[in-house]
Amino acid sequence: MTAYLLRRVLQSILVVFISAVATYVMLSFAPGGPLAGLRQIQQNTRFRITEEDIARIRASFELDLSLPVRFSRWLIGVPRGPLVIGGKEYFADTVVGCRKPIETEVINSRGVPETKVVGCKEEVLMKDLVGRRTSRGIMFGDFGLSWRILRDRPVSEVIISRIPKTLQLIGLSTLFSLALGIPLGIYSAVKQYSRFDYTFTTMAFMGSAMPSFFFGLLFILIFSILPKNAGWVYVPAGLSESVRGYTIPLIGKVVAGSLKDRTLHLILPVAVLTILNIAGWSRFIRASLLDVLRQDYVRTARAKGLSNKVVILKHALRNALIPFVTIVVFTIPGLFAGAIITESIFAWPGMGRLYLLALGDYDYPVAMAIFFILAVLTVTATLLRDILYTLVDPRIRLT
Amino acid sequence: MTATAQIQKLDVEAITIEERSPFQVVMRRFVRHRLAMISMAVMLIVFLITILAPFIAPYEIDAVNVGDYFVPFGSVGEDGRVHYLGTDNIGRDTFSRLIYAGRISLSVALLSVIISETIGIFIGAISGFYGGWVDSVLMRFVEFMLSIPTLPLLLIISSMLIRNENLIPIPESVLAFVGKIMLVSPRDARNAVLIVIVLAGFGWLSSAQLMRGTVLSLREQTFVEAARSLGASNVWIILKHMIPNAMAPIIVDASLGLAGYVVAEAALAFLGFGIQDPVPTWGNMLSATQTYMFDKPWLPLIPGLPIFICSLAFNYIGDGLRDALDPRLKL
Repeated sequence: MTAYLLRRVLQSILVVFISAVATYVMLSFAPGGPLAGLRQIQQNTRFRITEEDIARIRASFELDLSLPVRFSRWLIGVPRGPLVIGGKEYFADTVVGCRKPIETEVINSRGVPETKVVGCKEEVLMKDLVGRRTSRGIMFGDFGLSWRILRDRPVSEVIISRIPKTLQLIGLSTLFSLALGIPLGIYSAVKQYSRFDYTFTTMAFMGSAMPSFFFGLLFILIFSILPKNAGWVYVPAGLSESVRGYTIPLIGKVVAGSLKDRTLHLILPVAVLTILNIAGWSRFIRASLLDVLRQDYVRTARAKGLSNKVVILKHALRNALIPFVTIVVFTIPGLFAGAIITESIFAWPGMGRLYLLALGDYDYPVAMAIFFILAVLTVTATLLRDILYTLVDPRIRLT
Repeated sequence: MTATAQIQKLDVEAITIEERSPFQVVMRRFVRHRLAMISMAVMLIVFLITILAPFIAPYEIDAVNVGDYFVPFGSVGEDGRVHYLGTDNIGRDTFSRLIYAGRISLSVALLSVIISETIGIFIGAISGFYGGWVDSVLMRFVEFMLSIPTLPLLLIISSMLIRNENLIPIPESVLAFVGKIMLVSPRDARNAVLIVIVLAGFGWLSSAQLMRGTVLSLREQTFVEAARSLGASNVWIILKHMIPNAMAPIIVDASLGLAGYVVAEAALAFLGFGIQDPVPTWGNMLSATQTYMFDKPWLPLIPGLPIFICSLAFNYIGDGLRDALDPRLKL
């Protein structure tokens, strides 16, 4: 078991590391970034951005360093300068990047001009890195500085300000899905082939086929826009609190930013996430309980004369929930990712929307940081799931 | 004739049933799944409409009617053609775009399924059949890919690809071919091809796992031993015995995959990282309605319902096929 755990933890770290490298390399190939706008400004002579300015800006975004150096500084915060051992400096003159690249316009095979780097006028040496501002590396919890969303503020600050909002959404919807999904699944299984069961399984099937973005829009339509236009009670949609106060029939005046306001704004996104979750989870509970109800020990329990309630809740349900526990653990990081879509529909200022914003706005440090967090969460959850398997079901042996 | 003889004759007739081929058996079971049959009919109609798009659509894919913004359903344009579903914010006919969008969205889904299942079948078959280190390497890779959060990774990759379209070289002939299927220019098709690559690039992973599992159980069966004793090579056994025998779960997987790809493509386009306007897809049409839905609440339904209907129909078809093809699931 210890050997297995050790191997799995190492594997997980490797997965996170490789996916971090891959996405970092990919994003560094993506055009745009903070320099894209500059090039256009540079062509406008009024602003007089000199070559020196460009070099300075490139340096401030670390874009003058070569990819491996930049990646290593981003990941673990080194190199910060020459290696000093016993008072002697090593690698001081190693080239780590290019301060002023020589660029030429090349017409590519499709007849479109492209800027291509052909050489280097001025190189960056290892000793130039001394005194440069650098992050401690994301492995040590320092995600660097944001490029655009909150320019020059630490990425961690940007993300931390969004985390509570996402946690609210995910926490509440998980809670409601469990509280509603488990009883619904049990009831549906106990009353198998009843009218309730048929209606319920059909709806759950539809729910799992329903794209979340369309479902969210439908909810906004049905519970917010249409009743509002008709002058009925409606639920506000969009953002996590409103900017101005508003009045809802029956509920009355709502002050912007008050607890009432924030609660009202939570209703729709939480409902969407909850319903979509219930569709998947309760189907699983139903199938798993039906499986258990067919087993011999359940018949024995019935034969002993126990009431139906005791048989189902005490004997069958416990075993039916075993696989479910692992499913729930595994869906939690998935919920973070799934919240990307829901947050984008409801303009909910959480982490998922921040991720989209960062990708769309070329704020790659923020995007990378969120991706890194999500990757760590997913991998940890996978590991946790496999360990939980053995804890709840001793028959499964890990090798 | 004695009574016993009569009874015997009756018995034989009673217990003899018409012989049916496996295909007929499967078809009979499938036809009995009512929802799957309705879904088949619906999808047939949708496919027909999208195939005949140029003949049905009253307007061209990107025809702009200046001045006719958000005209109501069924209003008649200047040239006498009807805007069945009105026009959008820059005066393009919604009905025509919806049909063309369906053609593009469904082609993306179909192409993705074909590519991902083909890769999945071969990787899975090789992995399951040969076992050993080949299996280890391939399956570790698949597990590795599956342990990365998919949607965030898809978003990163597609955001990089759509901004840097020339990063992956795609042969002109492929672009021309896809453009012809989707009725767009080869230049516009590049975007769609990239999305197919992204979707299929992740989609094959689970198909490979499925195929590997199936091949692992097939490999031990006696007909493989028989084939080998007749001198069949490994390649022959994989192509002629493994793949055809493993088709049942793959077909089910493919039809469920179609539903997944229709939704995934729409989700990417909806979030702004998929196929971009002016090339219409159901996803980016839905995304575009968000801005106007407060005044015109019916707008999201027009592109949204087809996505939902197709997703549901493919799911039901997959469900029906599973019931029909996999007798073990029949109670």
